[in-house]
Amino acid sequence: MKIRASAGPAILTGLLSILPAVGLVLLPVAADAATGPATDGGPGAVTPLAALGPPPVPADNPITAAKVELGKLLFFDPRLSGDVSLSCATCHDPAIGWQDGAEVCRGYPGTSHWRNCQSIINSAYYRKLFWAGSAKSLESQAPSAARGGVAGNGERDVMEERLRQIPEYNKRFKKVFGNARPELPDAWKAIAAFERTLVQRDTPFDLYMLGDKNALGPAELRGKELFEGKARCIECHDGALFSNEKYYNLGVPPNDVFDDDPLKQITFRFEQFAKGVSEDLYRRTKIDLGLYYRTKQEHDIAKFRVPTLRYLVFTPPYMHNGVFFTLEEVIDFYDQGGGDDHAKLLTGTATKTPVLRPLGLADDEKQDLIAFLESLTGEELTMEPPELPRYGVFE
Amino acid sequence: MSTRPSSLLRIAFAGLVLSFAVTADRATAATTQPRALGPLPAIEAPSAELAELGKLLFFDQRLSGDAVLACGSCHRPEAGWTDGQQLGIAYPGTLYFRNTKSVLNAAHARYFYWDGRLTGKDMPTQVRDSITESHFQNMDGRVMLERLKQVPGYVKRFRSAMNAEPSFGATLKAISAYEKTLVSRNVPFDEGNMSASATRGQQLFEGKGGCIQCHEGPMLSDYQPHRTGVAGNPEITRDPLRHLTLRSFAKFMGVPGFEIIREDPGFFTVSKQEEDRGKFVTPTLREVSRTAPYMHNGTIATLVEVIDFYNAGGGTAEGRDPLLKPLDLNAAEKTDLLAFLEALSGDAIEVGEIDLPPYEAIADWRSVPN
Repeated sequence: MKIRASAGPAILTGLLSILPAVGLVLLPVAADAATGPATDGGPGAVTPLAALGPPPVPADNPITAAKVELGKLLFFDPRLSGDVSLSCATCHDPAIGWQDGAEVCRGYPGTSHWRNCQSIINSAYYRKLFWAGSAKSLESQAPSAARGGVAGNGERDVMEERLRQIPEYNKRFKKVFGNARPELPDAWKAIAAFERTLVQRDTPFDLYMLGDKNALGPAELRGKELFEGKARCIECHDGALFSNEKYYNLGVPPNDVFDDDPLKQITFRFEQFAKGVSEDLYRRTKIDLGLYYRTKQEHDIAKFRVPTLRYLVFTPPYMHNGVFFTLEEVIDFYDQGGGDDHAKLLTGTATKTPVLRPLGLADDEKQDLIAFLESLTGEELTMEPPELPRYGVFE
Repeated sequence: MSTRPSSLLRIAFAGLVLSFAVTADRATAATTQPRALGPLPAIEAPSAELAELGKLLFFDQRLSGDAVLACGSCHRPEAGWTDGQQLGIAYPGTLYFRNTKSVLNAAHARYFYWDGRLTGKDMPTQVRDSITESHFQNMDGRVMLERLKQVPGYVKRFRSAMNAEPSFGATLKAISAYEKTLVSRNVPFDEGNMSASATRGQQLFEGKGGCIQCHEGPMLSDYQPHRTGVAGNPEITRDPLRHLTLRSFAKFMGVPGFEIIREDPGFFTVSKQEEDRGKFVTPTLREVSRTAPYMHNGTIATLVEVIDFYNAGGGTAEGRDPLLKPLDLNAAEKTDLLAFLEALSGDAIEVGEIDLPPYEAIADWRSVPN
């Protein structure tokens, strides 16, 4: 059975009912990249696993039904891209787990992207968006995606004037934001508000944590114990989100899709160039430098922000470069203690996290772990694309 | 040599700075004696190798954001190096609000674009503008650069012609070099072998027709802004894509009231002087018989109609240039004038087969330097 997350009245009412309690609550801002070695979080304090609460909502972008409805239209509107061929939903497709199902995201026409596309589901809880945490809010993630040369390649003024050419949007933006005409930053706010409704808080795991002791079976419970114990997953995948949002190098193997695809090789170099690495590194690196692009600290090379494990049943392939197609592969990878330290091979500076070491998991333990991981996903959340308003002529 | 992001940005913004140089010599132009017509001066021929590279780049769609538009998509050789439309096509999701100009003889232009916002002294900046402008080729220069490096045929040619790996600046230079080869050849007017009718037409052009007041010198243009009073093209607001493109352009150029703009501000875009609204820079008349439709907004379909337009003293729009007066040309005189205009076109420039070098995956990618 599939639940239609229509962002319509029922779900929204449910969400709005909890807003008074959370509307102004912002999660504390965690120490971030600039602080250097501390970016490798563990081993250290671990937040216990928990049921997912309501998502935080920034004080300057409260959720309203009209805003969410507008954000939904914009999320599906390809006019927020360079050549009007891509909407947010093109790469975050509700039918494919709100991502695009590819190892490396398809990217803008004439290009390829270079990282795995992440699901929108539960993105509301992240304080660091994108694999290297380069955006700190959904409001700032959206424009990066819409404008990037290998993503949406949209130009600000053109996208804004497109919105202003649509009478229905003029009406809706005015109603929601009060301005005479649509303003592009308000479009990102509306999209963020819509995305904050795309959460899943009723997984078997959540129900179990909320008191339904039958929600998890024996295999799942054994898996949970392994997750928190022998397999040590919780050292990074902790708390209600199953992510401590810190940055680690796991030694994820390079994806060989870069080896023979001209468009991916182009984008790989473009990213080095655009992200401002030294000419020496631009020439030499064949690995995604991850957090390094932001900090330019060698000890941050190949580190990526821990992703949530929620909704993962619908979001393969896995890892920042989509190199693993199944949870079995992922667990085998961790069971071996992760992969080679490619950062060390590149610069001589080891960055692979000491958290990882061989786990010695038996086959049935791996199966239990998978059973638990699957309990972090509830029903599939799908959505029909809305009918989009048309351009008008201003007489 | 490699182009770092900072220098790319400098290139991108150089055009903006240069665009405002256009205003300086405008004010006194109308009172001086027109410059004599005559053949184009010779220009230094670019290296054949560089021009050949530029030719490939000119016709390569990979120089646009989504790899669908080349320079040559809107400047089509078979349409007089224009797109043949009243108003230009543009990047998908936008449509242009002005007529596409020919690149023929662009090497001799003193200013580029209908509003003269770029100086003719710097053709690479014009090329840069076309490639990166959101409603033209909407190309992130950094993506372009890496695309070129993925084409061994280009890497070889850049090395050979420029002694460099593909770079943004080298790309602009190469395309400019090619455009420098796109000059009129065997023009009856230049060769002095015009028909008797065309010769009479030249006299009318320089005399009774008064055309030379603005269409002066070897390029038959004073490169000054004038208001001919040509009727607006309603499509710039009737077509949503053109209207939104006009607004975003006006916003980018700092035109006040861009939100509600409904008319092309013309040279006002550059000067920000109210009296310059609706003025456009005189176009060259070289190759004019190949570049229909005419005027900044393509609203006049044929040269016969253009001549009728000026014979009537220009358009009816308010504030038209006082140089324009009814001319009282008879049918024979109009025919002669037309013959002269047609004598300004030379041989068609043959492009021949374009064999674009393909992308290739870099072999042993993980082992070789980027």
